[in-house]
Amino acid sequence: MLFMALTAMTACKKSLLDTVPYSAVASETMWTTDNLTDKGVSGVYAALRLGVEQTYGSGVELYQMDRYGFTGQARESEPLMTGTITASNDNFSLTWRYLYEGIQRANDAIYNIPLKSPSSEEKKARYIAECKFLRAYFYLRLNQVFKGVPIYLEPFDAAETTQQRATEEEVWNQIIADLTASIDESNLPDRYAGGDAQYGHITKGAAYALRGKAYLYLEKWDLAAADFSHVKEAGYSLFADYKTLFKTANEQCPEMIFSIQNIDIDGFGSTTQFFCGSRSSFGSCWNNYLVSPNLVDLYENTDGSKFNWEDVLPEWSTLTVAQREVYFLRDNLTADEIAAATGRGAKMDLYLPTGNEARILKAYTNRDPRLADNVITPYSTYLGAFNSADAVVTMRWPFRSEAAENGDLRTDTQNYFYYLYRKFVYEGISETIDRSYGPTDFPIIRYADVLLMWAEALNEQGLTDDAIAKVNEVRFRAGVAPLNSNGATAVSGKEDLRERIRNERRVEFPNEGINFYDELRWKSWKDKVFYSGNGVKQIWGNVVYAYSFQGDYIYNWAIPQVEIERTPIEQNSGWIN
Amino acid sequence: MVCAIFLYTISYAQTISGEVLNEHNEPIAGATVRLLNSNKATSTNDNGLFTIAAQQGDTLVFSFMGYENVTQVVTGGTMQVKMTINASNVLSDVVVVGYGVQKKVNLIGSVATIDAKAIENRPVSTLSSALSGTSSGVSVRQTSGQPGSDGATIRIRGTGTLNNNDALVIIDGVQGTMDAVNPNDVESISVLKDAAASAIYGSLAANGVILITTKKGTTDKITVSYTGLASVAKPANMPRFVSDYITHMKLINEGYNNLGQTPVYTQTTMDLWAAANANPNGLTDQGIPNSVAYPNTDWGKEIFENNIVQRHNVSLNGGINKTQFLLSAGYLDNPGTMVNTGSNKYDFRVNLQSRVAKFLTVGTQTFGSLQNYGKASTANAFNYLSQTNPGLYPMYNGVYGFPSAAEENVQANNIFRYLNGTGGANDESRISTTVFGIVDITKGLQFETRFNYQNRAQEINTHSNTYELWDFASNVQRVGPVSPDQLTTRYEFNKNYFYSIDNVLRYTTTLAEKHDISALLGYNQYYYNYYDFNATKQGLIDESITTLGSATNLISAGGDEYDYAMRSYFGRINYAYNNRYLFEGVFRYDGSSRFASQRRWGLFPSFSAGWRISEEDFMQDVDFVTNLKLRGSWGKTGNNGTANYDYQAVYGTTNYSFNALAATGLISTKFANPDLQWETTTTTNVGLDGNLLHNKLNFEIDLYHKFTNGILYTPDIPLTVGTAAAATQNIAEVTNKGVELTLGYSGMVGTLNYAFSGNFAYNFNRITKYKGALQQGYIRDAEGNEVYTSNLGNVSNGTTTRILEDHEINEFYLYNVYKGNGGYFNADGTVDINGGPKGGMIRTPDDMAWLEAMIAAGYIFQPSGGVDKTKIWYGDLIYADRNGDGIYGNTYDQYFTNKSATPRYNYGFNLNLSYRNIDFSMLWAGSAGMWYYWNATGYNNPIVQLGYGVNHIVADDHYYYNDANPGDPANNINGHYPRLKNTTDAQNAITSDFYLYNASYLKLKNIQIGYTLPQHISQKAAMSRVRLYLSGENIFTITKYPGLDPEIGAGIGYPTMRQFALGLNITF
Repeated sequence: MLFMALTAMTACKKSLLDTVPYSAVASETMWTTDNLTDKGVSGVYAALRLGVEQTYGSGVELYQMDRYGFTGQARESEPLMTGTITASNDNFSLTWRYLYEGIQRANDAIYNIPLKSPSSEEKKARYIAECKFLRAYFYLRLNQVFKGVPIYLEPFDAAETTQQRATEEEVWNQIIADLTASIDESNLPDRYAGGDAQYGHITKGAAYALRGKAYLYLEKWDLAAADFSHVKEAGYSLFADYKTLFKTANEQCPEMIFSIQNIDIDGFGSTTQFFCGSRSSFGSCWNNYLVSPNLVDLYENTDGSKFNWEDVLPEWSTLTVAQREVYFLRDNLTADEIAAATGRGAKMDLYLPTGNEARILKAYTNRDPRLADNVITPYSTYLGAFNSADAVVTMRWPFRSEAAENGDLRTDTQNYFYYLYRKFVYEGISETIDRSYGPTDFPIIRYADVLLMWAEALNEQGLTDDAIAKVNEVRFRAGVAPLNSNGATAVSGKEDLRERIRNERRVEFPNEGINFYDELRWKSWKDKVFYSGNGVKQIWGNVVYAYSFQGDYIYNWAIPQVEIERTPIEQNSGWIN
Repeated sequence: MVCAIFLYTISYAQTISGEVLNEHNEPIAGATVRLLNSNKATSTNDNGLFTIAAQQGDTLVFSFMGYENVTQVVTGGTMQVKMTINASNVLSDVVVVGYGVQKKVNLIGSVATIDAKAIENRPVSTLSSALSGTSSGVSVRQTSGQPGSDGATIRIRGTGTLNNNDALVIIDGVQGTMDAVNPNDVESISVLKDAAASAIYGSLAANGVILITTKKGTTDKITVSYTGLASVAKPANMPRFVSDYITHMKLINEGYNNLGQTPVYTQTTMDLWAAANANPNGLTDQGIPNSVAYPNTDWGKEIFENNIVQRHNVSLNGGINKTQFLLSAGYLDNPGTMVNTGSNKYDFRVNLQSRVAKFLTVGTQTFGSLQNYGKASTANAFNYLSQTNPGLYPMYNGVYGFPSAAEENVQANNIFRYLNGTGGANDESRISTTVFGIVDITKGLQFETRFNYQNRAQEINTHSNTYELWDFASNVQRVGPVSPDQLTTRYEFNKNYFYSIDNVLRYTTTLAEKHDISALLGYNQYYYNYYDFNATKQGLIDESITTLGSATNLISAGGDEYDYAMRSYFGRINYAYNNRYLFEGVFRYDGSSRFASQRRWGLFPSFSAGWRISEEDFMQDVDFVTNLKLRGSWGKTGNNGTANYDYQAVYGTTNYSFNALAATGLISTKFANPDLQWETTTTTNVGLDGNLLHNKLNFEIDLYHKFTNGILYTPDIPLTVGTAAAATQNIAEVTNKGVELTLGYSGMVGTLNYAFSGNFAYNFNRITKYKGALQQGYIRDAEGNEVYTSNLGNVSNGTTTRILEDHEINEFYLYNVYKGNGGYFNADGTVDINGGPKGGMIRTPDDMAWLEAMIAAGYIFQPSGGVDKTKIWYGDLIYADRNGDGIYGNTYDQYFTNKSATPRYNYGFNLNLSYRNIDFSMLWAGSAGMWYYWNATGYNNPIVQLGYGVNHIVADDHYYYNDANPGDPANNINGHYPRLKNTTDAQNAITSDFYLYNASYLKLKNIQIGYTLPQHISQKAAMSRVRLYLSGENIFTITKYPGLDPEIGAGIGYPTMRQFALGLNITF
C-alpha cells in the first residue's frame, strides 16, 4: 500500500527528533570561529545599551538619571525624590540586573576567548583588554550607587550566585586592576580616528579616563591627574563648538573618548529625542525628562557674573511663586486666559499686554551660551515639525495651538510650563528617521569631562592655577568669561574653586547622565537637591511634586529586595521593607 | 423498553390508516410516518392519527424526536403503533474514544460526550464558545468578543500545571485546532477527562483530550440541507463613562482640589457648555451645531455599533453503493460590535469513504477555510478609550473632532479615529487533509493507516490611514493629514504546517461467548514547523499605494522559524467478562524533540476496571435500575509544555554598531538544562454511572485526584545572573482534586416532552512542591537588631499573583486594607492600636484623630507616610501591618489571600421542551469561587487626569467632602471608592485587596424556540423537514463583578456579543 510505504520511509528518518534552533547559535560552537569571536565581543558592547526601551522611558538609561540630580527633573512624581521609595523599586532591580548582565557577557568573553577562539593572538589580546575595560565600567556603575557589590570574574549560573558583597574599596580595586590590565595591553590603540572601522571600540585613552575617574572616588588625586594627562597625550581634545558637538556629524570628533554607538535602525538607536523632546519634535515625542529651573538659574551671565532674577525683574523677590507666573505669559492674552491666570494666582497688574514677551526674553539674553544650547527657554524658537514638515515653533505660555508657521511648541504637559531639553533632541524632520531610534552616539566620557575631573584632582592637591587652566579651557570653548578674567570670576581659593568646578560640571553636562553621580560622589545631593522647597518645578518655581529627603541612607541605593531574598547578600543599612 | 405493536384488522386497502401512541397510551402528534425506500411520508395529526398510501408487505418507519424508531411491515389497513422513549442509547450508543469507539455501557474512562444537538442552531461563531455549560468538568470561557479572536479557553478539570494547560484537540483522529471546524459539520464531541480515557495520547494528554467527530455520509439516501441564521448583535455590556462634560470637568477639578492644586477647568468653560447645552441645536458663528462644537460625547457607547451577523451552510450528505460522502460549505459574516473589527469566514469540507474492495476501505476528510479580520487595532483600544473624554466630538462632516475646550489635553484620544486609523488586510487560510485506508485482514483483525497534512498561512498588510482633526468650536483644523513620505506600510507573512502519520492494528474477538477481547497497537509520528517574515517601509507615493516596492525607505525586516517533532508507539487491550466485569490497559511510549536524546522517551500507562452492577443476577429484579456501573482507573499522562529548544544552550542575536555600521552581537540568551524531561500527570478516578426509573433519570458521578510532578517551569533566578532566561526545570508539583456530577431527567406530560440536565464540577488545585516553604519573620542581626527577613523572592515567582508551595496556582498576593475595630482610644487615653476605621478608609474626624495619634505614637503609614492633602487625608485607605513592624503597608505586609482567578465551581443547566411541532431549549452556564484583581486608571481606581474619562463606577460612588462647604449636596463620606486624585495616587492605587472582586457569575447562554413545519406542508415544497427558530445568545449575566463581563476576565476588553437570531433549517 502507498500509505504503508510512505509510513515506512518516514519512520526510518533518524533525524526527526533532533531539531535545532533556526535563529541562534549552539553554545558549543560559540567563540570557535573568528567571526563568532567578533560577534561575541559585539555582544559585550551591546550591554552598554541595556535599559534601552524604545516604546517607553525605562528610567534606567544614563541620561534619564539626570532627573535624580541637580540639573534635571522628571515630569512625574519619582518615589526616590518624594521620599517614598522602597528596596523593591524597579529602578534598583533593573539597574542591578542590566549591569550584571554586562559583567556576565564580559566574563564569558574573557574566559572563553583564550580557550576557544582561533582569532589572531593580537586580536584576542585586544578583545580581552576591551572586555576587561567593559567589565570595569559595569562594576564602576554598580559601585557608584550600591557601594560594594559581589564580585564575579568568571561566568556563573543561578546555583553559583553565592558571593557575599565585597566592600566598596575592594570593588574599586578590582575596577582599577581590570583597567590597568587594559592600559598595559600593547595591542590596544591610544585612540581611533574618526571613520576608522574599529571606531567605537575601547581605546587606551578611554581606559585612562575611566581609571582616573575611579581614582577620584578613592581620592587618589595624584594618580587621577596622571591618568587624565595620559588621556590628553592619547590625542583627545575639545571640539570647537559646544552646540554642534552633540550632533551626529561630530560624534567621532576628538572630544569623544568613549560613547555608546547609535545608528538609526530599529533597535540600534538612541531614545533621548523621544523622551526629552516634545510633541512639536520629530514624529511627536514625549517630554518625560525635563530641565530643572535650578540649572537654568545657575547659568552665569556671559561675563561670568551670577544670574539674578532681580537684575531683570526688580519686583521678583517681593512676589510669591504663584504671582511670578505673570512674567512668563504671552502677549495679547484673551480675557479667558487672563481670568485663568488670575485664578492660578498670577499677579496680573504686572502684565504687559504687548511687552510681556520682550520683558522675559531679557532674562535669557547675555547668558552663558550653553543655556541656549542645552535648554529651550520661554519665547525662544525651536525647529520642530508640524504635519511631518519642518516648522519653527515658539515656546509660549499658555499654549494655544500648533501651526505650520509661528505655532506654539506643544508638550504633553500643556497645563504646566516647563523648561525643555534642546541637547540630544533632533531638529526638523531629517535628522532621524524615527523618534524611537536616533543615530547620534551618546558620550559616556568626553574630553571636557576629563578636563573638569582633572581640574578637580589638581585643585584637591592645591594646584589651583593648574586647575583653573583646565576649567578655562572648557569655559573658553563655551563662550563664557574665563575664571580670573574679571571681578565676578575671581577665584578666592581652593574651596571657592571646588564649588566653581562643580558648577562648571553642572552647566556643562546636562542630559549626559553625569550630574546625578557627581552629586552622589560629592555628597552634595542632599543640600543641592533636597533643600526645603525644591521639587519638580515649573519655570517660575511653582512646585508640582515636592521633594522629600528620606534619610542619609539613600546615598547608598537599596540592594534590590528580591536579591536579598534570593542570594546571601545583605542590605545597605537604613533600608527597611 | 417494550415496544408493542398491535394490529387490529387485516385489510388489503390501498390506504393505510392508524394511530401512534406513547407508552401511556396517549396519542403522539407530529410523529413522522415514512414508507421505506420511497419519498412517501406523512405525520400524525393532533390525535395521533395518520393515513398513508401503502401496500401489504410494505415497511413503514415511525419516528419522533426523543423516541425509538419503530419499523413495521404493513399487514392490514389500519394499525396502532406504540412508541417508547428512546432508551436504546443506554445500551447501544457508542462513544468515540481515542483511536476507536466503545459502547457507552462498556466505557470505564471518564468521558463526557456532547451531541451535535447541543451546539447546533446557536448563533455563536466558534465551536469552542458553544461548549460552555454543556458538560461537567469542562470549563469554557470566551475571553473576547472580537470576531476571529472569539474562541473560548477550555480547561478540563482545572489547572494542572504551571505551563500550557490547553487540552489536546483531535479532529477525526488527527491533531488540529478546534475553531478551524465549522460547528455545523460536527457530529459529536467526546471529552476525555481521566487517564484511562486519555492515556492513549500519552504525553499530549495531561490536560485532557477533546475528540471531534465530523458527520459522515449515510447509506443509500441523499439529502441536501440548508441551515442559515441572521442575528442582531450588540455588545453584551459597555463601559460607562460620565458623558456630561460639565460633570466631567467638575470631577477632574475635584481631583485637583483634593490635592490642594489649582483646578484645571475654569468656570468660563463650564459656562460655555452650559449655554450650549441649553440650546443644542443652535449654531455657532461658523454654522456648526452647538451639540457638535460643545459636545457631551458618550464614548462608551460611541465606539460600539449594533450589527447583523449571518451564517449560512449548505451540505450534501449521502451514499451510493459502497461510497458515502458529505460535502459542506459555510459562510460566516461577523461584523462585530466595533468599527473595522469584523471577520468573514468561508469554509468547506469533503468527507468521503469508499469500500473499494471487500477487504479495503479508503477515504478522506479534507477541510479548509479562508478568514479575514478587521484591521482596527483593538489591543490598545480600551486603554485609549479611557484616555479620552466627553469634550471631544467623534466625527462631523467627514473629519474627526479635536478637544474644544481651551484647557483640555490636546492628546485626548479620538478613539473613533484610532479604530479607523489602520488600513490594509489580514487573511488567514487553512487546509487540513487526511487520507486513510482500512484493511480488513481477517475476521476481527483490521489495519488502519492515516496520513494528515495541515497548513495555516496568514498574510497581513498594515498601513496607516491619514486623517484630520478639527476643533469644531472654532472650526479650525488642528492636525492636518500626514504627508505621504511619512506614511508606512508593512507586510507580514507567517505560516505553520504539520504532518502526522498513524498506523493502527486492531483485533477483536469473543471467546466462549463470555470473553470479549479487543486489542490495539499503533504508531504515530508528527512534525511541526513555523516560520514568518515581515518588512516595513516608509515613504509612500500616495496613501492609496501601499505596496512595498513603491515605498522608499526600509524601516525594518525580520523573520524567524522553529519546529518540533514527536514519535510514538501505543497500545490498548480490553477484556470484558460476560458484559459484567470490564478491564482495560493502555500504554503509550513517546519521544519528543524538545528533550535531549537521553531524556527523550517517556512511558505513559493506564489501567482501569469497571463493574456493571446492573448485569448481576441479584439486580435482575430491581426494576427501576436499567444500568448501573462502577468504574475505577489509574494512569499517567505527560506534558512537554516547554519551549522547543530549552534543553540546548544557545546564543541569540543582539544589536550594536561600530563606526555607524550595524554589528550583530551574540549573547547567551537562555541557560540550558540538558536533563529536562516530561512532566507527568497521574490521575486516579472513581466513577458511578446509572440509568434509573426506566431511563428517565440518568446520572454520572466522578471523583478524581490528579497529581502532576516534574512540572516544566522557568523559575525566577537571582538578578545578578543577568538578563538571560533562566534554565527551564522539572521543578514543581501540583495536585488537583475534584468532583463532577451530571444529572438528567426526561419525561413527558401529555404531548409535552421535557428533558432537564444539569452538570456541576468542583475542582481545587494546590502547588504541593515548588522551591520550599515560605519562611519569614524576625531574626536578630549581627548588631543585635530585630530585623524582618523573608525568603519570598527565592521560593516564589510572580508579583501580585504568585507561585508558592502549599498555595493555589497564581494566588493573589496583595496589600491588605486595614480593618479597625471602630474604636479609637483606650480608657487611659492612649491610642487603641486595634482601633480605627472598620473599612480602612479615613472618613471622619475621629478616624483622622486616631490616625494622627497612631503616628504620634511612632507608627508609620505607608506608602505616603504622613498626613496632609498630598499624603493621607480624608477619603484615603490605610493598610494593615501584618508583620507587626509598626509600619503599616510596607512590603512584607502583603499577604497570600487564598484566592485566585481560577474558578473552583463550574456548572451548567440545560432544559429542553417539545410540544407537538414546537420545541424550546435553554442553556445556563456559570462559574463560582474565583476572584479578579482589577485596578485600572480611568475605570475603577480614583485617579482622574486631564484628558482622561471618568468611569461611572468611581464617579457615582466615591468619597467626597467639600471642606469649604460642609453642606455641599455632593458630599458623600460613605462612598465606596477613595477620594479622587489628579494623575497619581500613591496611597490608594497600590495593589491591595480593595481591588479584589468576587467574579462568580451565571449566564443565560442560549434560549431557543423552534417550530417544525408539519410534513404535509413541507412536503408540498419537496422538503422533508423545515424548522424555523428564534435563538438568543448571551442573554444576561448574574454577577457582582463591576467590570464589563467576568467571562472575558479582569479588566476591559472587546465585549462578548448579545445576539438575537432568526434561523432556518431545511432538509430536502
